[in-house]
Amino acid sequence: MHMQPTSSMKEEFLQKWQMGLQIYRPLIDNTSVSERRKAIKLSADVAMASLRRGTTCWSRALIQKTATEDNFLVRQMLSGIKAETLINKKLPKVMCHRKIVRRSKKILRRRKSRSAIEEVAAKARKLVKKKTQGLRNVVPGGEFMSNDVLLIQETLDYIVSLQTQVNVMRSIVDAAEAGSERTAYYLGKLKFAIEDG
Amino acid sequence: MSSGRRSRQASSSSRINDDQITELISKLRQSIPEIRQNRRSNTVSASKVLQETCNYIRNLNKEADDLSDRLSQLLETIDPNSPQAAVIRSLINE
Repeated sequence: MHMQPTSSMKEEFLQKWQMGLQIYRPLIDNTSVSERRKAIKLSADVAMASLRRGTTCWSRALIQKTATEDNFLVRQMLSGIKAETLINKKLPKVMCHRKIVRRSKKILRRRKSRSAIEEVAAKARKLVKKKTQGLRNVVPGGEFMSNDVLLIQETLDYIVSLQTQVNVMRSIVDAAEAGSERTAYYLGKLKFAIEDG
Repeated sequence: MSSGRRSRQASSSSRINDDQITELISKLRQSIPEIRQNRRSNTVSASKVLQETCNYIRNLNKEADDLSDRLSQLLETIDPNSPQAAVIRSLINE
């Protein structure tokens, strides 16, 4: 049983994304393709992040990152949800506590030499540590999540949110690109995709 | 706090974390389509799950970028009277 995008998430994402695009509307007609593309992507990111209403680290980090690129858009899109606090709130600086890490490393070294099985287990743990570090690079705000449990919880939530974003965007773009005889088909599919959950 | 107590606390909390992490990694297994669809998903190692998770997230972001690209191109070339334009108008105007 895995988590997946629900119909209410998709619905809410679409509404918020639409709102973001409307804010850009005057610009969309008069700007370059690359600026348009940026506007579309930024609105989609804020829409995705705002689904979480500031309750996850990744969504706060993404909002702050987007705010540095377009402060106006973020404020407009979040006007109902305490935009100021979300943009300015300091992300937790829970960096690794070096003293504790050093001390536990010392304790480990004092132990008797380990068996082969223990060696293998230690290598596996090290590899896992390296891979979780990789996760920190792809999850927004990952650099502030020194706790691995928090990191993976945030990752799971981030994945479901990304799936929602991509799911809805894909449906819209497919519908918009389809030849006229297939537009109705894709529109129907979009409606179904959102209601299906 | 004595150093003895602190080291005991550190090791007991790391035991709890190991269990939590194992459980979270199995949730990740179920979230990554490539792994989930594999019949023998339970044999995939933790580090492979984490690696695939990174790749999956990167791919999702890339797809979102690509979709933004396509949509912005559409706005450029679209015939205002076409059904496609109607779709986009409804997206932007609603």
